[in-house]
Amino acid sequence: MKRGAFWSWLWVGLGIAYFAIPLIATLEFSLKAERGRYSLAAYRTVLSDPQFASTFSFSAGIAILTILFSLLLIVPTVYWVHLRLPQIRPAMEFVAFLPFVLPAIVLVFGLIRIYSRPPFALTNYVWSTNLLLVAAYMGLALPYMYRSVDTGMRAIDVRTLTEAAQSLGAGWPTIVGRVIFPNLRTALLSGTFLTFAIVLGEYTIASFLARPMFGPYLANMVRNKAYEPAALSIISFALTWAMMGGLQWVTHRTPGSTQVTTGPR
Amino acid sequence: MAFLEIDQLHKQFGDLPAVSGFDVDVEQGEFLSLLGPSGCGKTTALRMIAGFERPTSGTIHLNGRDITNQPPNRRHIGMVFQSYALFPNMTVADNVGFGLKLKGMTPADARRRAGELLELIQLPDKGGSYPYQLSGGQQQRVALARALAIEPQVLLLDEPLSALDAKIRVELRAEIRRIQQQLHITTLYVTHDQEEAMSLSDRVVVMNKGFIEQVGPPFEIYNYPRTAFVAHFVGQLNVMPVRVVDAAAGRVALGEQTIILEPPLAANGQAVTLAVRPEELELGAAEGHNNLRGLVESVNFLGSIVRVRVAVDGATLSADLFNERLLTLPKAGEAVTINFPAHAAWVLEEQG
Amino acid sequence: MATETVAVTESTPPARRARAGAGLLTWLGVVPFFLFALAFLVAPASYLFIGSFQTLDGQFTLDNFRNLNQPIVVEAYKNSLQVSFATALGGTIFGFLLAYAVTLGRAGRVRSGLLTFSGVASNFAGVPLAFAFIATLGRIGLITTMLKAVGIDLYQQGFSLYSFAGLSLTYMYFQFPLMILIITPALEGLKREWREAAENLGASSGQYWRYIAFPVLLPSLLGTLILLFANAFGAFATAFALTGGTINLVTILIGSQMRGDVLRDPGLGYALAVGMVAIMAVSITAYTLLQRRSERWLKR
Ligand SMILES: Nc1ncnc2c1ncn2[C@@H]1O[C@H](COP(=O)(O)OP(=O)(O)OP(=O)(O)O)[C@@H](O)[C@H]1O
Ligand SMILES: [Mg+2]
Repeated sequence: MKRGAFWSWLWVGLGIAYFAIPLIATLEFSLKAERGRYSLAAYRTVLSDPQFASTFSFSAGIAILTILFSLLLIVPTVYWVHLRLPQIRPAMEFVAFLPFVLPAIVLVFGLIRIYSRPPFALTNYVWSTNLLLVAAYMGLALPYMYRSVDTGMRAIDVRTLTEAAQSLGAGWPTIVGRVIFPNLRTALLSGTFLTFAIVLGEYTIASFLARPMFGPYLANMVRNKAYEPAALSIISFALTWAMMGGLQWVTHRTPGSTQVTTGPR
Repeated sequence: MAFLEIDQLHKQFGDLPAVSGFDVDVEQGEFLSLLGPSGCGKTTALRMIAGFERPTSGTIHLNGRDITNQPPNRRHIGMVFQSYALFPNMTVADNVGFGLKLKGMTPADARRRAGELLELIQLPDKGGSYPYQLSGGQQQRVALARALAIEPQVLLLDEPLSALDAKIRVELRAEIRRIQQQLHITTLYVTHDQEEAMSLSDRVVVMNKGFIEQVGPPFEIYNYPRTAFVAHFVGQLNVMPVRVVDAAAGRVALGEQTIILEPPLAANGQAVTLAVRPEELELGAAEGHNNLRGLVESVNFLGSIVRVRVAVDGATLSADLFNERLLTLPKAGEAVTINFPAHAAWVLEEQG
Repeated sequence: MATETVAVTESTPPARRARAGAGLLTWLGVVPFFLFALAFLVAPASYLFIGSFQTLDGQFTLDNFRNLNQPIVVEAYKNSLQVSFATALGGTIFGFLLAYAVTLGRAGRVRSGLLTFSGVASNFAGVPLAFAFIATLGRIGLITTMLKAVGIDLYQQGFSLYSFAGLSLTYMYFQFPLMILIITPALEGLKREWREAAENLGASSGQYWRYIAFPVLLPSLLGTLILLFANAFGAFATAFALTGGTINLVTILIGSQMRGDVLRDPGLGYALAVGMVAIMAVSITAYTLLQRRSERWLKR
């Protein structure tokens, strides 16, 4: 009995140490910007850096676009598949699986090779490069988005729900707006949080498409500054925590709907 | 000395006495059921016998040996679980042969013995299947074979049928009894289904809130319940609040009407509760019986029986009539007489 | 006497088929989705695949794959495989021990806290993670300086954060939490009744683990090992931010070749990427198959 407890707590203690020490070290580092005393100077510098604001808001904007387009693409499709084409679900799942096989570096490699040249030449303009960026992120987020929405629709059995609504005389706008959508809120929110977490700190694709995202900005700081990147890392961690917290908060009432995710490596 | 002797077993979970004063002797080859409502301690009692729970106090002797503190893997007691608990990574044959393999039997012998057991449970072709390929009823048969394979001295079953459909339940119930009698194995069977307990057992232990209420053969439990709890829990029961009019003559009053019972009774003037089973009541008046007048409240046709509910002074009584084609059913609101013999009713002790 | 009447019920609900006569219009509904996948997932992968079999002027060739056999490429694959395998194995073992401690072990009190933290940590990667380790074990990192104060000079002893060991330590930060997240449900799927049934049949605790618990967990363990492997194998940002591209991994090499720093041979770049995707595809497929088997055993 005693021995079991000893080992259990030993491993847990080691695990906590592994989690905590890098964070503590980073935090400590971020507070040392002024000689000889702890201060929030690094945070002040970072937060007043116009580049921080611009890259952060640019990343957030891209994340929102990614989420919006993903939802527009995936929700109607999955709904339609559940309703009319259940036989092609395996194909959908296969597609949703592809991004796992394509590391970000390979994905961006292929995208650049195809779309940076004629006939597409998307990288010639800023707006079309941004579109390409959003498309790449939609790809990265696809497995998580698809799984969330699919699980959500399966849980509420959209087909029966739709037929019930129809039999009560509801038209399509009512069905989608008042019946399906409210029931999918958890699924949509969890997909949203996940996508946000993936896009916000993404580095690989952003840097190869040379867009002013938060990830490349942070990498640049790491190369050129000492204390500011520590502050930024802490801020990043807090953001990841917030996204995952949000995810848990929306899914904790529906057990089994949580999925294992991995951020951009 | 009995084969399995359980003496004053007690189990405390924190503040809760889950089992108290559990004291039963089981003979070799006997089929004993533990019957009681949910949470009354049946599983806990069984798990103490299996060795999964350590009794707070009391002893268990098996075949003269004290096994109270023996670890479960040395007891030679087989157990069948409500959830089947087949090992998912092994075929049916490997599941059945698992205990034999641990005993050091050669693989060939273990396979042969597993084959025999699969014959016994009438699944001779399923040896190579995996548990997830079987239906619930088949899985439970395999679990039974697995428990029997090691030739345990006692077989324990904890609500083995409660996860199955009604029809398969009845079928498998008969199967369990057949195998038990064929092997003459001492068996303890936990259930909260009284029909199951009644139809299977040599003796039934009725439990309530951790205590044993009564131990006896099904017939005795049903017809001579020793406590109000047993009377209510087992079968349907009509109860009537009556007042003793003449204790010596066995005369009591139900409202304005008189009922004659077999003496002795409590003191005159005392209020007591009278009980009678619905199947003892008949429609119409009968010479020498207690005849009560009342109004029909409802008539329910249940197939082989018809349940007529009659409101008499201060009580509603159910009469269960056997269905026959010639039966003329009374209608709700009709005035009827119902009767029962004096020996059919008894006075319930005050319930605690 | 009851005879066998129970049929094996495979729980396949009657297939919900498209309405009879579901025509072209029905199929139109899924066109955007598949078009997207075609344009932004399949096409890039195919482009690399086709390119890897072509010379600069479009002739079919196997030379690109032959050219993989040069020291810098072989070393990149070797390093990538080593780091991925080492961190996958380390993550699997350490993650398992932690998950065990909070499920079957005696540290159940911190279970939900550990799972929450694992969810965050498995998503905390890339540049900020690299910096967190620089702040910890870099030349002036917290641990490095603390150890120096007590007379242990890590860097003098040959340790470097920007090497194989340092990279592995950093990857572990997202590896073992992922293991915890995947294996915890599997451990919780081990039914108490299995242990009890085994004990009942005479098994010791060791025999229970050897014959039942371990075989039941094995698909999950193997599957997760493979997943962690793939997880590290495809990583770029963390390694790049940590080492500034000085460590030779397949992902880093692909990145350098895209920037035109090394190799200067597009065909070889494609072949590199195709090799990488092939390894990922095999891993992920194996993971899925193993996970499916494990779920079948652990369900209900
Ligand atoms: N491990 C335990 N810790 C604390 N309390 C327990 C434990 N096991 C059982 N109990 C409590 O002991 C009481 C008896 O439980 P037990 O499982 O024996 O009931 P039961 O008669 O088998 O009921 P059921 O028909 O629902 O299976 C219950 O109140 C239960 O909550
Ligand atoms: Mg029970």
